[in-house]
Amino acid sequence: MITAEDKALLRWCIDTILAQGAEAARVTLNRSVEELVATLDGEVDKVTRCEDSSLSLEIFIAQRFGSFSTNRTEREPLERFIRKAVEMAKTMEPDPLRKLPEAGRKAGDATTGLEAGLYDARQEKVLPAQRVEKALEASVRGKAELPEGMLLLSEEGEYSDSLNDNLVMDSEGLVCCHTETSFDYGVEITVADAEGRKYSGYAWDSSSRADALDAPACGRRALERACARRDSAALPGGKYTMVVDSEVAGKLVSPLLAALSGYSLQQGNSFLDGSLGQKLFAEGMTLVDLPREQGLQGAKYFDSEGVATRNAPIIENGVVKQYFLNTYMAGKMAMAPTVESSTKVKMMPWPQSGPEQARDRAALLRRCRSGILVTDFNGGNCNPATGDFSYGIEGFLFEDGVTVRPVDGMLITGNMKTLWQQFFAAADDARLCLSKLIPTLAFNSVDFSGE
Amino acid sequence: MKLRSSTFGVSIEELQALVAEGLSCGGDWCDLFFEYSAYTSLMLRDSTVSSGGCHEDYGCGIRVLKGEKTGYAYAESTDMAALRKAARSAASIAAGGSPKACGVAHRIEGAQNFYPVGRDWRDVESAAVIPWLQRIESEIRRRESRTLKVIASFSCDMSEVLMFNSLGELTEDLRPMGSLAVTAIFSNGKKVINNNASRSYRAGAEMLSERVVGELVDEVVRGIDEAFEARRPRGGKMIVVMGAGASGILLHEAMGHAFEADFNRKGQSVFCERMGQRICRSGINIVDDGCLPGNRGACNFDDEGVPGQKTYMVTDGVLTSFLHDRISAAWYGVAPTGNGRRESFRYNPIPRMRATYMENGSDGSVEDLIASVRKGIYVDRFSNGQVKIGEGDFTFFVKSGRLIENGRLTAPVSDINIIGNGPKALADIRAVASDLKIDESQWTCGKEQSAPVSCGIPSVLVENLTVGGGQ
Repeated sequence: MITAEDKALLRWCIDTILAQGAEAARVTLNRSVEELVATLDGEVDKVTRCEDSSLSLEIFIAQRFGSFSTNRTEREPLERFIRKAVEMAKTMEPDPLRKLPEAGRKAGDATTGLEAGLYDARQEKVLPAQRVEKALEASVRGKAELPEGMLLLSEEGEYSDSLNDNLVMDSEGLVCCHTETSFDYGVEITVADAEGRKYSGYAWDSSSRADALDAPACGRRALERACARRDSAALPGGKYTMVVDSEVAGKLVSPLLAALSGYSLQQGNSFLDGSLGQKLFAEGMTLVDLPREQGLQGAKYFDSEGVATRNAPIIENGVVKQYFLNTYMAGKMAMAPTVESSTKVKMMPWPQSGPEQARDRAALLRRCRSGILVTDFNGGNCNPATGDFSYGIEGFLFEDGVTVRPVDGMLITGNMKTLWQQFFAAADDARLCLSKLIPTLAFNSVDFSGE
Repeated sequence: MKLRSSTFGVSIEELQALVAEGLSCGGDWCDLFFEYSAYTSLMLRDSTVSSGGCHEDYGCGIRVLKGEKTGYAYAESTDMAALRKAARSAASIAAGGSPKACGVAHRIEGAQNFYPVGRDWRDVESAAVIPWLQRIESEIRRRESRTLKVIASFSCDMSEVLMFNSLGELTEDLRPMGSLAVTAIFSNGKKVINNNASRSYRAGAEMLSERVVGELVDEVVRGIDEAFEARRPRGGKMIVVMGAGASGILLHEAMGHAFEADFNRKGQSVFCERMGQRICRSGINIVDDGCLPGNRGACNFDDEGVPGQKTYMVTDGVLTSFLHDRISAAWYGVAPTGNGRRESFRYNPIPRMRATYMENGSDGSVEDLIASVRKGIYVDRFSNGQVKIGEGDFTFFVKSGRLIENGRLTAPVSDINIIGNGPKALADIRAVASDLKIDESQWTCGKEQSAPVSCGIPSVLVENLTVGGGQ
């Protein structure tokens, strides 16, 4: 938890920076404690304790700017570091657009760190033996039945719990606190068939609350996924209806968010340059940012500049509603600033009612009848300037609304703008623990390369 | 015996006391990894270098092993009380055993310093670097009138490392790294494209040179006309000729990760039962090398204090070695190969690649390889890759290339992913040219932790890879 001593340290940093001649400064303290137990094949394999603290200093001096960080918080080495940092900031070329955000934009309602409702006091009371117990209880080795002919080769699990504090202060009186606990479990299972061919499956869960973590379900899910890959193979290339599982659908949203960032737009390195207010995507596509949804993992009341976040649409009914512009980028683009980046993105279900509404993946497959269900991506990239993408995929062929065979070794290729015009349905099954709340999605006529 | 560095303020006796604390619960092995890293960065954007900074990271990681099991903790301080607390935490992996003694302290020397520092980065003012970034931009704009924007960035790092283990082995290393990277945006009025290039070396400030700047500029402006015209090919399985140098990403993704011994020890890798077997045609040698002077993947010592070495993973087409850290080496009963690496003191070491490359073949030149293909694709620029260890399925993303039609390079292509299967792709290498090139770009491997690596390869012809494209 953020303490009065932490605030005093940051106040001292700011005073020391200003005493060196700087006009303004912003200082950020990130601190975390994480305890981790890893297992291999049902036995403890590794225990780790991590205690981190990091100070970031942003210095504004004579219209110049520098960004610095150190993990040494003792006053003597810190003072030496600050002197060196100020001297380096002075060597930068002048840039009058570098400044702190206007006072009216800053968050004034994140004073305790508990406002987002993401702190669970039980984290600090977990005993080492309890961590081991949680890690081991999730193991499926010796507990789960495998399909005939399948052999469990390896099971690697990892339980961790952590406490993360973030404190941002600036020389104009800003004080923003955020505290978040996290309880996580991930497991990867490798199985082999009678011919020795290997298949792997992964599952992960996370929550800010201890009682919401379901580690045993991860083990079962990872095993199911690994076994379901049996005899997977590529299909002939062609145009298919594509359904993308909610576990991985965020991969197709990330390039849009990157393209809406001021850093990309201002450099002309964005396929969404000039898109603000334009209807570029399918009618049903609505993407919102929910940084102030209390209790929603990942919510945060302020961005890295201490600017207040707000729940707001990013894309609404296919129309681009927001760029992500921090103070500097907004100045460069002569536009009104917003926030540095998205915080907790959610894609709304589509359609939201009526006979074509599909609540979950199974319903969406039934609606789509046939096509390829993508359950994981294997590498690939999206060109930020053009939006051209190509990703490896694995998943399942589905016919008559049900999966009929596993698919791998295939690629999808296209352009992000076109793809999101081909979007026609979103279920309502986004996983709350993922950084982006993207449900299972459906797209028409996607290019798949394969056999 | 005295420590060469006073950075960490510890004595040999204190190192021994910490190891004793780590072994107090019956651990078989304890090692200490002290690190002080000072990192500086500068960025040119919109023709000004108006952002930059320096960053430092200081601390010590303590690892205790009991068999293959690991206890790990670290302190962001070298205060003995904090270090003892971390040692006790790591020691808990072996709860219940009897204490073991630390060996007599003795220094381990590497065979050679693979990164002598001509000019220490800590003595270089940022003002002295700014002209190099400005020079990169002005050269690009002079060479290419369609330049819209240039982002040029510089970073340097000097890491002091001190390692001590329960055998009493003491190693000290000073690790420099200097990198330049540039992204340029070009427009012909109808289409916007980007191109990027980077160079990274374990070297001091002497790496800032006319040669490096010239290479970066050449690489960024090369092929702009083709990039404006580039189209997606028709996707599907085809023959791929991979140009010398950066195509080494094939080895890194398709084979290198699957040769890392932790994946094999745990039965996960597709190669775990193939040691000693032929896995590709004779004449092919694939190595992982920590001994290339100044190379981004060079290691005087790995992060377990094992001296840098060159490891043949495939010798004349036969799988001859995995890449080992101390845990896997003990498990397999072989000597460590110097591949125990970590991102920083915050992480325990795991088997990682260094500079991974294939030695020259004898199938002629890249032109000979291209001439032998009736229909296929030639690729020579890449951005990222990935592999699924168990299945062996790998991908890498191609930034640019050309179609091959009737033995000749024809239409330019860009932004395509290529997918294949490691063992199959190895077996499907049909020709290896004699033009080995080690790529000097800023490659970073992301297996659990980030680690600087490099790769290289002579031009090779691979059959049956699946290329993304239109249908």
